[in-house]
Amino acid sequence: MTAYVLHLAIIAGIYIILTVSINLIIGYAGQVSLGHAAFYGIGAYASALVSLNWHFPFAAAALAAMLVAGVCGLALGLPTLRLKEDYLAIVTLGFGVIVDLIFLNLGITGGPDGLPGIPPPSFFGLSFRQPWLYLVLVIVTVILVLIATYRLVDSYHGRALRAIRDHEITAQVMGINTPAYKVFIFTLAAALAGLAGSLYAHYITFINPETFGLHTSILILTMVVLGGMGSILGSVLGAVILTILPELLREVHAYQDLVYGGLLVVLLIWRPEGILGRGKLSLKFLKKEG
Amino acid sequence: MFFQQLINGLTTGSVYALIALGYTMIYGILGLINFAQGEIYMCGAFVTVLLLATGEVNFFLAFALGMGAAALLGVVLERVAFRPLRGYHPLVPLISAIGASIFLQSLALLLFGPNDRPFPIQFAFSTIKIAGLPVSTLQIAILAAALAFMVLLIVFVRYTTYGKAIVACALDRDTARLMGINVDRMVSLTFLLGSALSGAAGIMMAIYYNATYPRMGLLPGLKAFSAAILGGVGNIPGAILGGLLLGVAESLGAAYISSGFKDAIAFAILILVLLLRPQGILRGRGD
Repeated sequence: MTAYVLHLAIIAGIYIILTVSINLIIGYAGQVSLGHAAFYGIGAYASALVSLNWHFPFAAAALAAMLVAGVCGLALGLPTLRLKEDYLAIVTLGFGVIVDLIFLNLGITGGPDGLPGIPPPSFFGLSFRQPWLYLVLVIVTVILVLIATYRLVDSYHGRALRAIRDHEITAQVMGINTPAYKVFIFTLAAALAGLAGSLYAHYITFINPETFGLHTSILILTMVVLGGMGSILGSVLGAVILTILPELLREVHAYQDLVYGGLLVVLLIWRPEGILGRGKLSLKFLKKEG
Repeated sequence: MFFQQLINGLTTGSVYALIALGYTMIYGILGLINFAQGEIYMCGAFVTVLLLATGEVNFFLAFALGMGAAALLGVVLERVAFRPLRGYHPLVPLISAIGASIFLQSLALLLFGPNDRPFPIQFAFSTIKIAGLPVSTLQIAILAAALAFMVLLIVFVRYTTYGKAIVACALDRDTARLMGINVDRMVSLTFLLGSALSGAAGIMMAIYYNATYPRMGLLPGLKAFSAAILGGVGNIPGAILGGLLLGVAESLGAAYISSGFKDAIAFAILILVLLLRPQGILRGRGD
């Protein structure tokens, strides 16, 4: 029982990082990414491959995961972020499908069988094979990510991002380099998703393409919308709720996607600000000007 | 070999074009990507297959009812999932459409199970030779039917009052309203037409691949949207051209480059188009 709770807590922690990172794109920069699980996967594969082939220690592997995912985010973001939201949605979705196919078809990623035997992290001879130790590692990482995100959104740069979200042209007139900000936040979010991927890979010790498909991208999106777009605490809550809820409702496992899909539509109609949105953050940006 | 791939590409391409027409019309009038278009396509196929499986309905009636069910689903979807969110940040209806798509897909999965269903009736299709080259009559039938639907749509949009009203709404919704056009009704009509075409596309693909399953709409839906962008979003001839080009590119790419990456070709083209010529081949009306 304890092991099960520990497992859920670790998974929830990983989802918190993913949800917070995509919330930076959606809730703060007002852009959309439907291929976020691809960066999660890129991070997981990168981290697994450098550990398996070159015996990188965990910290170096996690950094490599962030770097590779970040570079992929940069490569995708640079040409596409000048597109409007809806085009960006399709491009990121297409990117997710392409990355999924690459995982499936490439020799180095093990194809559909995936990569087994990823070593758990160890620091100074202390192995993190123990779930509770791993949970400590995840919690520390989540706290670091949250502190960094809070610092970012409360800074000049965070205000610049929200200005872009609320009115891009006005932001530009005020001297904000909007393309640079959008690319920056996209790259950062990709790198954070890569970090989450690394945490996942070294915890489960086995990865295959199934984990990083469209289903996961949609799940993360639902977590953001549930918690409230533009609320970091909301993202944390959304991630935790949607990790625990399916476990409580085991019998309705088959209905999971049905519930997520329905939840998205219903939430947007009745409470587009999410469970933590109201009063806390202005959601006026959701209403178009004029 | 090359000719065969070309015909295969044109056949799937004409089906992409039919779905792309729905995307492009809806985008033209609402500025919304209807992510659930692929599920409407799936709905058309399922209704027809289930009706035919009863053995009591003839093919043409089942085809028409399949299209009708798809059209109805499209109209209901607009009322439930999109209309309440009109006027919000474009992100909001977009996410709602994704939710609707996932919902419908998993609903179909629960109702019909994950397995492929074969098409219930067999047609006596054969291979004939045109100018010495073999062509399947099934492919000719699909191409001809798709072409007929496209011509009908173009005639409707160009020459009828309702068609012109839709174009007016797409050009400028507020002015159209001032001219006495009921914009909401035109939006519903657009969803009706676009969804009926997607439903027809689904039925044709169910015959062509002899398989109907809940996730069948996912990839054709995404590819058709790529086709709509390729041709210039909001542009009806562009959607047709984009669909055909995409189908041919995919078919040739799978044959000559790599069949494992067949599904990636459409998206690679999409990303290239957005980089090099974001307004599409024929300029779109959207921007």
